[in-house]
Amino acid sequence: MNVFAAVLWKDLLTEWRSRDRIVAMLMFSLLMVIAFHFSLPGGATAETRHNAPGLLWVAYVFSAMLGLSRSFAIELDNDAISGLAMAPADRGWLFMGKVAANMLILGFVQLVTAFVFAIVFEISLAPALIGIVVLGSLGLCSVGTFFAAVSIRTRLREVMLPLLVLPFYVPVLSAASRATTSLIETGEVPFEPIQFLLVVDASYLIISFLLSDFVLDE
Amino acid sequence: MANPALDSVVASGGASRSVAALRISGGVLAIGALCWAWLVIDAPIDSRQGVIQKVLYVHVPLWFAAYAGFLLTALCGAMYLWRNDERFDRVAIAAAEVGVLFCTLGLVSGPIWAKGTWGHWWAWDPRLTVSLLLWFIYLAYLLLRSFTEGSTRTARFAAVYGIAGLGAVPLNYFAIELFGGAAMHPDNLERGSLGDGMGWPFVAGIFACAAAFVHLLIVRTDLETRRAEVDELEQDLEF
Repeated sequence: MNVFAAVLWKDLLTEWRSRDRIVAMLMFSLLMVIAFHFSLPGGATAETRHNAPGLLWVAYVFSAMLGLSRSFAIELDNDAISGLAMAPADRGWLFMGKVAANMLILGFVQLVTAFVFAIVFEISLAPALIGIVVLGSLGLCSVGTFFAAVSIRTRLREVMLPLLVLPFYVPVLSAASRATTSLIETGEVPFEPIQFLLVVDASYLIISFLLSDFVLDE
Repeated sequence: MANPALDSVVASGGASRSVAALRISGGVLAIGALCWAWLVIDAPIDSRQGVIQKVLYVHVPLWFAAYAGFLLTALCGAMYLWRNDERFDRVAIAAAEVGVLFCTLGLVSGPIWAKGTWGHWWAWDPRLTVSLLLWFIYLAYLLLRSFTEGSTRTARFAAVYGIAGLGAVPLNYFAIELFGGAAMHPDNLERGSLGDGMGWPFVAGIFACAAAFVHLLIVRTDLETRRAEVDELEQDLEF
């Protein structure tokens, strides 16, 4: 459990010192919001507002992938990844530390993006959105961090991550978009997509916790 | 100069070793496919769907073979991680490739039936969606294999990805029960749910696809074994 806190602290501290990942993710997701706005001409019509939550989650997914691939790329400097792999600690918790750090970084980006999104598409946000976002990004970050560790050791690196992880993101994207749409349109969160998200999150966490031994190597 | 690696290949019979197995599986496949074709032609024509319903005898067995391929990929991947034996990895890659092949054929045969029965090529039915994801997952598995360097790392990463992807197989099989609602696919077949005279062509289809699966698996595993032998010989000659 100590290793969880240590890795979380290390990742947040490195990010705080450089701030390169968070700035890149934030700029990317804001640019995506603008790109969405211009790819749907006609301004904030009722139809665009109906589709907006799906677009918001697409922006989240893409900025998550951008940040996740960096999460292990920084460990390649000075071969820090070998140090991580050789640390006498449970790799499962080490991974969870990374997942938590990625979630916090992504969470900040998601928060800012949501506000800009609300302004651009003229939708009103409800506090319950935070709950959906937390559940959604737990799914994105758990399996994403796991495959980031795999893709960083392949020849194509950043190109490989989306190919590996996007099929696993579809269930998260589908359930989170449905929940967000319903929240924005009716003000209520239906139980069914939340239940689905919980099951998906739990399965992804268990898979990445149990198999993490095999994806970190010296 | 004596070369132990070369000697071991020669001693094991080299190319002739797998020929016997291939002859048997090939023979079974040829007979199975003939019986299958005969029974499908002979099968009664569905009163509502017409002749297009005969795609059933091809489409469903193809998917069973795809499931078998992915199941074997994950199983051999797990065995590789447990035992660290390269032979499991060779079967895993063979099973994944054969699985992707059957999955592709399943994805091609499905829309042909769908166009004739539902009126359109594709619907975002839960089973179709998960099928497409399954195809993408194991296609990514093959890409991951070709883009990872180092044979043990490739085998390890592929095993992990193959195991993680297996979750989509039961999700696909039970998609209708789980998500139901707007499903276009019918419930899973049960004994007696097919009409009179439709059971045998279906069973023959499963048998023929299983034979094709085994045959291709042997061919592909054999190729991988030979590749490993060549690598070993090359290494031996270098030193």
